Amino acid sequence: MRCCLQHKSVRLCLFALLVLFGLSACLSAPQTRLLQEQQPARLSSRELLADVGFFPQEAYQCGPAALATVLDYSQQQVTADELVSQVYIPARQGSLQIEMLATARRYSRLPYVLPASLESVLQEVAAGLPVLVMQNLGLSRWPQWHYAVVVGFDLTDGTLTLRSGTRRDYVMPMAVFERTWARAAHWAVVILPPGQMPVDNNQTRYFQMLADAEPSLREESVTAAWRAGVQRWPASDLMSLGLSNHLYGQALVQDAASVLEQLLAVDTSSAAAHNNLAWLMLELGQTEEAMRLAREAVTLDAGFKQTLADIQSKISSGR
Amino acid sequence: MQLTLSKMASIGMLAATLLAGVMMQSAALAAPSAMVSTQQLAQETRVDQQRAHVSAFLDRAEVQSLLEARGVDVADAQSRIATLTASELATLAAQIDTLPAGEGALETLIFVLVVFMLLDIAGVTDIFPGL
Repeated sequence: MRCCLQHKSVRLCLFALLVLFGLSACLSAPQTRLLQEQQPARLSSRELLADVGFFPQEAYQCGPAALATVLDYSQQQVTADELVSQVYIPARQGSLQIEMLATARRYSRLPYVLPASLESVLQEVAAGLPVLVMQNLGLSRWPQWHYAVVVGFDLTDGTLTLRSGTRRDYVMPMAVFERTWARAAHWAVVILPPGQMPVDNNQTRYFQMLADAEPSLREESVTAAWRAGVQRWPASDLMSLGLSNHLYGQALVQDAASVLEQLLAVDTSSAAAHNNLAWLMLELGQTEEAMRLAREAVTLDAGFKQTLADIQSKISSGR
Repeated sequence: MQLTLSKMASIGMLAATLLAGVMMQSAALAAPSAMVSTQQLAQETRVDQQRAHVSAFLDRAEVQSLLEARGVDVADAQSRIATLTASELATLAAQIDTLPAGEGALETLIFVLVVFMLLDIAGVTDIFPGL
């Protein structure tokens, strides 16, 4: 996992790029072609987030530099130097993707890994979020790993603008970017400040990212992130259960219960939501409602019959 | 069927994975008497995704022809996917993701898949009677 070192292996990089250009006739950039042939209606033709800061990389440390760029833009005071010890592995002369995500969480930001879609990257930039990307500037068999930040694009010219290594506004052809990005498995991440949502509209993805990040984020960040999720997907049991569980963890039993009640008012299909609300109602002393909900959970999914039995025995033993 | 050394080794690993899976499964069965936690939900959504991933793999034409060459019914294989445990799915999905290019790699993975299904049919204590 070695980053492209600008001032020492310029020649290597140049050579890799030359090879790429040389092969461009027989290499494809399907997403770029599609975007240019048929520009998506909801995407402007050009965008530039000029006020994204610039953290020029030192030695092989493109990982800390790129991460500092996106964290700084999300209103988190940070320097590339302080990130070096957290994400940079000297023996590998580079940073692992998983460490990049973990460090963003340590700064109480929610990292959201985007789908492997160039359009998705452009959409996030258009919505004002710089996108952290991984590239393989070399070839698959001879990799030169590199992290950079996409801050702008121009669909008419077919270019992207990146904060990359020691270059502040590095304009590169979109097709070349797509190929270098594809060789790094299309890895792209936005760093979400508390409560901000990505443009990408995938509730399962958002749920998983947030569930992963929850233990490391500050409490108010978690609450804001779950609330934003419930607001976008009010009929999603994943979001409501996430928020409800989080509130319950803070001993806000009544609030946790009303989140699930609001969900069941718009969608009654979730067995897990009935199950959890049954337990919350029991805790709030509403035994009849608890029994009704537990029965409903079993009707929806027989796997919850233990809940019904447990609640029944708790009620009959007078708790 | 004559087994090569590397295949023997992978069978050993698979058996270990499977045993771990069975143990995890029995632990999970005792659980759902309380509230469903966010981490449990996250785990479930991941298993669903992996199942879809493995299932899409089985839909590939070259995979189907390899399975058929081994006398495995594709529809049967698809229905087995539904019964794989979480850890088996994770192992398979990871192997599909890191599948290097080339015929040999795909062959090996198909072998792994077939072993999973045989184990699934035979049960852990009665491993490989058909091999």
